[in-house]
Amino acid sequence: MICYKCGCRLSEHDFCTGCGADVGLYKRIMFMSNRFYNDGLEKATVRDLSGAIVSLRQSLKFNKNNIDARNLLGLVYFEMGEVVSALGEWVISKNLRPQKNIADDYIDMIQTNQARLDTINQTIKKYNQALLYCYQDSQDLAVIQLKKVLSYNPKYVRAHQLLALLYIVAEEWEKARRELEKCCQIDTNNTTTLRYMKEVEHMLMPEEAVKSAPKKKAVRENVVRYQSGNETIIQPVNMKESKGVSTLLNLGLGVIIGVAIACFLILPGQIQNAKADINNELRAVSEQSDAKTATIDELEQKVQKLTDENAALTAELASYQGTDGTLKATDGLMMAVDAYLKNPDDIESIALYLEALDEEEGEDKTEGIQDKTEAFTALYDDFLGLIGERLVDYYYNAGYAAYRADDYETAIPNLARAYQYDSANGDALYHLANSYRRNGDEDKAKELYAEVIDNFPDTEIANRSETYLAEINNAD
Amino acid sequence: MIDFEEELKKFHPSLEVEDAEEAIYNQDLTDMADILIKMIEKAKPEEE
Repeated sequence: MICYKCGCRLSEHDFCTGCGADVGLYKRIMFMSNRFYNDGLEKATVRDLSGAIVSLRQSLKFNKNNIDARNLLGLVYFEMGEVVSALGEWVISKNLRPQKNIADDYIDMIQTNQARLDTINQTIKKYNQALLYCYQDSQDLAVIQLKKVLSYNPKYVRAHQLLALLYIVAEEWEKARRELEKCCQIDTNNTTTLRYMKEVEHMLMPEEAVKSAPKKKAVRENVVRYQSGNETIIQPVNMKESKGVSTLLNLGLGVIIGVAIACFLILPGQIQNAKADINNELRAVSEQSDAKTATIDELEQKVQKLTDENAALTAELASYQGTDGTLKATDGLMMAVDAYLKNPDDIESIALYLEALDEEEGEDKTEGIQDKTEAFTALYDDFLGLIGERLVDYYYNAGYAAYRADDYETAIPNLARAYQYDSANGDALYHLANSYRRNGDEDKAKELYAEVIDNFPDTEIANRSETYLAEINNAD
Repeated sequence: MIDFEEELKKFHPSLEVEDAEEAIYNQDLTDMADILIKMIEKAKPEEE
C-alpha cells in the first residue's frame, strides 16, 4: 500500500513515514476494499457469481485501483456470458496497471481470436434482438433467437433467465425448470433464477413445492459421489442422524410388536379364563336358582295344603258355630226358664230373655225354632204355653200404654210381640195398625187394617179398620 | 405469480463490442479514496 500523496510505501502507522500525511482513514478504506475483494473471491469460489459481483463492485467503489478485484470482476462477468462487461473491466484494469497485469492475457485471449470475438458480438446482438421481440410480444421468435444465443454462448445467464421467463409465460414448466437449472449450475445464488425456480416448482408441485425442495437438497447433501474406475460410488455421509431416527423407529416397532403380541397371544387366554370364570359362576347361580325354585315349589305346595286345611277347618268351625248358635239359643231359653223358676212374677225378665232369644233366631221365630232340636222346641212350646197369656198381657199393656202416650216407637214392637204370641188378640193388631198409621207408615197400616178386617170380621175393630183404610185410600 | 411485463423491464440490452469503448470512457471511476483525498485537500486551505 502506498501513500496517496507522496507514493511512499506505508507502514503500520496511521501516518506516512515519507511525507507525514494522515493515512488512517485512507488505510481503512483500502482495508475495506480488500475485505470486499476477499468476500467476492470467496463467493466466486462457490459459484455465487451474483454475490461475487456485488462484493467486487463494492471493493472497487472503495478502491478503484484494486486490480485483483477488477480482474476477478471481469472474470465473473465473462463466466456469466457478459463478455463486453468483462472486457471493459479488463481494459480499465490494464490501463490502471499496464505492467504485470493478468488482464492483459484475458484481453489477448479474446482479441487474438477474431472469429470468437465475432461470435460473441453476434451472440450479444441476437440476445438484444430477442429482447426486442419480447417487447413486441413476439415470444416465439424470442425463444428461437435465445436458443441460438445459448447455442453459441451456453453460459449466458441472462439469456437462460429470459428463455425461462418465456417458458413460464407459455406455461412450459419443465422447460423453464431445465433452463433455470442450467442457470443455477453457472450462478448458484442468483436471486432472479431462484425466484423463477420457486414459481416453477410451485406450479409443478403446487402443494409440496416448499417442503420437497429442501428434502431433495438434503438428500443430495447426504451422499458422497466419487468415481472408482468406471463405476460411480454413492456413499451416505451422515449416518448418526439416521441412527437416532432408526433407534426411535426400532423402539416404535418394538412397542407395536409388543402390543400386537399382547393382543393376539395374551389377551385371548385372559378372555378365555374370564369366560370360564363367568361360566362357573353362572352354573353356581343356576344351581342355587334351581334349589330355590324347588324350595319355592315345596313351600307353595305346603301353602296350598295349609289353605285347604284352613278351608276345612273354617267349614268345620262354621258347623261348630251352628251348634254353638243352638247352644246359645238353648242358653237363652234356659235362662228365661231359670228366671221363671226363680220368680214366676218377674215377667219382665222372662220377656227380656225371650226377646234376646228371638233376636238371635231372627225375624221368623217359628222357622228358627223348627231348626232346633226337638227337645228345645218342646221346651220352648211348653214354656210359652205356661207363660204365654201373661207374656201377651205384658206386651199388650206396655204397647197400649205407649200407644196412649203417643209413643209409637215403643208401642209398635210391644204390640207386635203381643200379637205374635197371641194371634187371636185383635185389639193388639188393631192398635198396632193405628200405631203405624199415626207413626206415618200408612202402607204397613193398610196391610194390618186389611189383616184385622180379614181375621176379625164383623167386629167393631174391623169396622173401624175399614173406616181408617178408606180414609187412607181416599187420602192417596 | 410472475408478471411478465414487470419481469421484462428488468432485462436490459447487452453492450455490444462496438459500444464497449464508449462505455469504458463514460464509466465513473471515482472511488472512496478519491473522495477522501479531495476532502482532505479541501479541508487543508480552510485550516491554513
